[in-house]
Amino acid sequence: MQSRTIQLAGLAFTIAYAAFIVWIYATEPRTFKEVTTSAEVAAGTYEINQEKFNSAINLFRREQFRAARVEWQQADPAQRDARTQYYVAYSFYREGWGRVYFDRELFKQGVEAVDRAIALSPANTLTIDDPDLQMHTAAELKAELEQGLERNWSDVNPLKVLRTRK
Amino acid sequence: MNIDLPQTNRSRNRALVEFIVLPFLFLTVALLGGLRIGAESGAFIFIAPPLVTLLLATLLLLLMVRGGLLRLHQWVGSDFPPLTNVAHIWMFITIFFGSAQAFNSVLPERGLLHWLFSFFFLWTLWNNQFSSFDARRLLRSLAVLFGTAFVLKHMLLASLYSPEDGWLKRVAGTLLQGVALGTFDAPAFAAVTGYIAFFTLALYVAGLILLAFAVNGETIVTTDSVVNNRQQLSDGERPVENLSLSE
Repeated sequence: MQSRTIQLAGLAFTIAYAAFIVWIYATEPRTFKEVTTSAEVAAGTYEINQEKFNSAINLFRREQFRAARVEWQQADPAQRDARTQYYVAYSFYREGWGRVYFDRELFKQGVEAVDRAIALSPANTLTIDDPDLQMHTAAELKAELEQGLERNWSDVNPLKVLRTRK
Repeated sequence: MNIDLPQTNRSRNRALVEFIVLPFLFLTVALLGGLRIGAESGAFIFIAPPLVTLLLATLLLLLMVRGGLLRLHQWVGSDFPPLTNVAHIWMFITIFFGSAQAFNSVLPERGLLHWLFSFFFLWTLWNNQFSSFDARRLLRSLAVLFGTAFVLKHMLLASLYSPEDGWLKRVAGTLLQGVALGTFDAPAFAAVTGYIAFFTLALYVAGLILLAFAVNGETIVTTDSVVNNRQQLSDGERPVENLSLSE
């Protein structure tokens, strides 16, 4: 009877340990901090750092986009919060937007971030009620970023300089 | 009551070793075998076992069966309860992945050296398939095999690829003059990677030694029970028992 208990306990314990190892190799955390963050995500207890998020919003409104992204990275290290990822994408859009040309590298990163935001939001729809923004849905932002990446004859239109940033 | 106590303790300890300690040891080897630490960033780098290590682990398991380190018929069979069979099969799986990751820890990550090391491992394991082995010889052979590979990769090659200009680097530079360095390309890892690999291999060999003791313990237990049964027989029953044993 005791041997049976040991067998059961051993199986349960070692299978859980094996699952942990598979999870570690699948998520590939780079530091112990990332291990704990990934564990929080897996356990469903992950929350962003609200203080850092607010600080990033202030920087974003002052047009300090890179500094804002650093703060958002610290607020959401696992990149698991749709709202934060939306703002990150928006910061790439605003920084990459130019009256004469768009910075394609920044726009590409913006598309990646907005894709993350869409994937993380329930039913793949995300709406942000922020009066400072002119685009309130992830779909609008994605379309704008993708349009910026396209190359066509309208790029040589001199009237392009009259367009406005959203 | 007191006579049964050592037997009870023995079976309890054996169950602990077989169903908890051994799988835990081999799974830890599986965890640490693919772990490297980046030289500059100090970040964890997890390297999943390459396909060739699975092949090497398969050959090694065959060798263990041939050498008597794994006795499949004693641990898995239709006579045993299903849970015991499942637990033993699970232990074999952990040994397989532990072995694959032990190879992973001593194989260079890429380049010509990765394939050279893989070839030598394959050659050695394939040759050993046709040699006569017992558990003790196999353990010694494996300890030497992994020890040599560890010295080559984590001491000689690590010194060769270290950012500092050591004596080995100068010697190798002279010897390999004219050979494209890209052929021997290997990523540089922090020195702590070598310590992790040493600990991993020590754990793996310790697990194999413990496995050998578990196998031998089983033989002793079987022999003891035959002897005990024989001692309990009357004088009239012993000739019949002798006959059955000789058969």
